[in-house]
Amino acid sequence: MRILYSACLFAICTATASAAEPTAMAGHDHGAMMRSQSKIWTQLPLLKARMKGQDMAARKVIMQPQNIAADAIEAWPNDLDDANGHRSLTIGMGGAPLDKPASGGFQMLTAREEQDDAVRVASTVHYFGERGGKNPTTMFDQVKHELEIVPKPYPREHSRYRAKEDWQFSVRFKGQPLVGQKVVLETSNGSRSEFMTDALGVVLINVPDDFKPEEAQSKGESHGMRRGADLVLAVSHEDGGKRYLTAFNSNYGEDAFAKRDLALGIGFTLLGMLGAAPLLRNRKAAANKEENTNA
Amino acid sequence: MLNNLFPTLARFRFSVQIVMLFVTVYGGALLGSYTVDRISQALPSLSCAYDKMTGDHCILIVTQHQLHHRVGAALAKAGDVALNVFIPTLMSVGVFFMFFFFLNKAFCGWVCPLGTVQEMIYKIGRRIGRPLKRFTPENVGRVRPAKWLMLLVLVLGLPTLAGMGTVANELGDPFCQVCPSRIATTLLTADTEQLAVHTGTGINLFLGALGNALFGFIIIAALAVRQPFCRICPLLSWNALFQKLSPMRLVKKESHEKCEKCGVCEKACPMDIHEIGTAFGSKAFHEDCTLCGRCAEYCPDDDVIQIKFFGFKLFGSSRDYYKARVKFETPEGQPKKRVIPILRAKENG
Repeated sequence: MRILYSACLFAICTATASAAEPTAMAGHDHGAMMRSQSKIWTQLPLLKARMKGQDMAARKVIMQPQNIAADAIEAWPNDLDDANGHRSLTIGMGGAPLDKPASGGFQMLTAREEQDDAVRVASTVHYFGERGGKNPTTMFDQVKHELEIVPKPYPREHSRYRAKEDWQFSVRFKGQPLVGQKVVLETSNGSRSEFMTDALGVVLINVPDDFKPEEAQSKGESHGMRRGADLVLAVSHEDGGKRYLTAFNSNYGEDAFAKRDLALGIGFTLLGMLGAAPLLRNRKAAANKEENTNA
Repeated sequence: MLNNLFPTLARFRFSVQIVMLFVTVYGGALLGSYTVDRISQALPSLSCAYDKMTGDHCILIVTQHQLHHRVGAALAKAGDVALNVFIPTLMSVGVFFMFFFFLNKAFCGWVCPLGTVQEMIYKIGRRIGRPLKRFTPENVGRVRPAKWLMLLVLVLGLPTLAGMGTVANELGDPFCQVCPSRIATTLLTADTEQLAVHTGTGINLFLGALGNALFGFIIIAALAVRQPFCRICPLLSWNALFQKLSPMRLVKKESHEKCEKCGVCEKACPMDIHEIGTAFGSKAFHEDCTLCGRCAEYCPDDDVIQIKFFGFKLFGSSRDYYKARVKFETPEGQPKKRVIPILRAKENG
């Protein structure tokens, strides 16, 4: 029954993903301008945020689980003192609506599936633009499931994961760091790579630069934004006869210098400097020079 | 103790500027990655959101985004304009005003990182003997309207029109695309991304080229002209809108007969506000004043010019202070001695 439910849910999610709705992105609403690919690109569990409606002020956030059969999505607020902040979102036909809690800011979202001796967890972060939202570090430090991948830190507002950049994640099991743990990275652009955690259970991920040049198209470049794609990090671990698999997904953009030209930038800067150069001339010296020339 | 640390108002202000330069450029790295989301996002100074280490955001980027994404979009839908559309914008202005209420335009003169960078470059200009280019009473008036034009067109007009769909989407935050602080503060964090011109569209390229050229011009011009960008900065005009609503202000005597022949305060003013010497009372607190306090430092008469907060004097001009001050630096900012002689000799030779 659960498998059937999972299959149905997956079919719904995939169909919904094909709809022409902008993909949500943590960090800033600009992220909603970035389109992610909706094809099936991984078997790892995912939590995707989708925006319903075009009006930014009235937009609804719908969380959609993929590749995981969960009964609910847990929403964890950045304000641990908020008694109503932790919510269990019921998954309906189109997904689970995510309301904005009073604390706003960063929200951690997780979905858990347990079958026999296997535990699978999908996790992601959603950002509600909210001035004064609390520092999410304590929210990330809070133990939510047995096996976890936690951003350290997560891109803040006006920032995002981008190709060629290095980002750190903590990998822990029952709150304790997992040392020498293999972490797999997959992207919707088709990359797959493996990393290892260090002595502190921290893994340094280099976001792959895997956007193909021929993919450039105006549809994905609304508001002059660069293209976006999805990434998922996954880690598996066995303990007490159980096999745990946890994934953390987000999206990422092209590298910082895509559609930028540093040489051109330096050129225009030098041009501006040249324009200001006459201001540096000493009038007396110029006058003297003129007098000498006349003489 | 404090007198030893800060013997002059200028030293105190420079210390504040250096601290604020670190907060506004590196604050996120020093105080935690998410600091920027929590302080205000409505700072009355050019604390650039493109700087990934900044501790707070400038009010202008928030305003442009809200006009672009919310107000403009709502206006386009006419009937859908609801109060909650304007609430975020009003919130930003409200938070901004909470800061502004206490410090008034001192955010320009004491906090703004670009203001500090320009002042430091000007000091270098003095050290290497570059000439001082000032705006005269006759020509300063030609520059002053530019800041209002920048505010109306780049901060308020184009973002709203972009939200309404009337102009291209790339014009959603045009001021940020030409603001020299975007390039200056990101370069201070060793990030060259903003120096690279965005070539995505023709508008991106145009704005990027303009922004870089302006940045280059300002960096060199600041060696000879005091605060070149401040004069056209939309934040100067934005702050001027609220100038009279703050209890922090510059106060000059209603009349003082020596002012007619003196004019030292005019020479000291980095914004070339000649009115500080010729006008009296509230008229002397001009809209371009950044509350740097140099006019009060260089006024040779007691308490003619004061900086007051809720009517209490924080700093007032005095003859003794003036005498001590001019021993080290002229009103124009030229240090006595310490100029690198080679460069000046080379120029004169």
